[in-house]
Amino acid sequence: MNAPLRLDINGLIAHQRNRYPVLLVDQITEVVPGVRATGRKCFTYNEWFFPGHFDDEPNVPGFVQIECLTQTFIMTFLCLPEYKGMKTNFVSADKFRFRRKIVPGETLLIDATLQSFKRGLAIGTVSSSVDGEPACSGELVVAVPEVLSRFKPKA
Amino acid sequence: MNNLEKYDATFVDTLMVGRDALAALKYQDVEAWDSVGHMQLMNALEEAFGIEMDIDDIIAFSGHEAGKGILAKYGVQL
Repeated sequence: MNAPLRLDINGLIAHQRNRYPVLLVDQITEVVPGVRATGRKCFTYNEWFFPGHFDDEPNVPGFVQIECLTQTFIMTFLCLPEYKGMKTNFVSADKFRFRRKIVPGETLLIDATLQSFKRGLAIGTVSSSVDGEPACSGELVVAVPEVLSRFKPKA
Repeated sequence: MNNLEKYDATFVDTLMVGRDALAALKYQDVEAWDSVGHMQLMNALEEAFGIEMDIDDIIAFSGHEAGKGILAKYGVQL
């Protein structure tokens, strides 16, 4: 098994391709490459989506929560040296549940587990919490197109 | 369920195609059999038959009919 790593924002930028305004995780507090990752996202009112969602009741949109969890999940395999910095695509996001509203000033803690990573197709589960309370959770399938393309049948 | 039924069912479930379309089905004939669908199909077949295919065979797996010969190399008779 690979040794655990910790990534600050520069480490995140080096390992994956999301950038402002869609880099939605601040820190990877621990990643065991090929196995699991934990991440942290701190929300302030300066986030681009709060004024629009909603002006009288700012809270984190569901699609942003899914992206936060996904960006932590992809670190489970993008921290393997052979996949570092590759772009990823959603294949599916299933069974997502949103148990708690997240508002400015709160910090989302994210746990991601890689169940399978085979020939560019990653399958796993993600969950998150705020102040110890369950927030968003679900199941993800993510593709790495650069790897998938190595296995395409010839036309 | 025999091996051929299991093989066909894997195509139907993964690519969401009808059984009557299977015999002539080839890679990219339907929207679901793109590069992602191909890997999902390969993973599903490996799981269904308890095998692990080589890269060359995954690339050569260009259609429903072609796949039968490839699975035979792994002892799966259809």
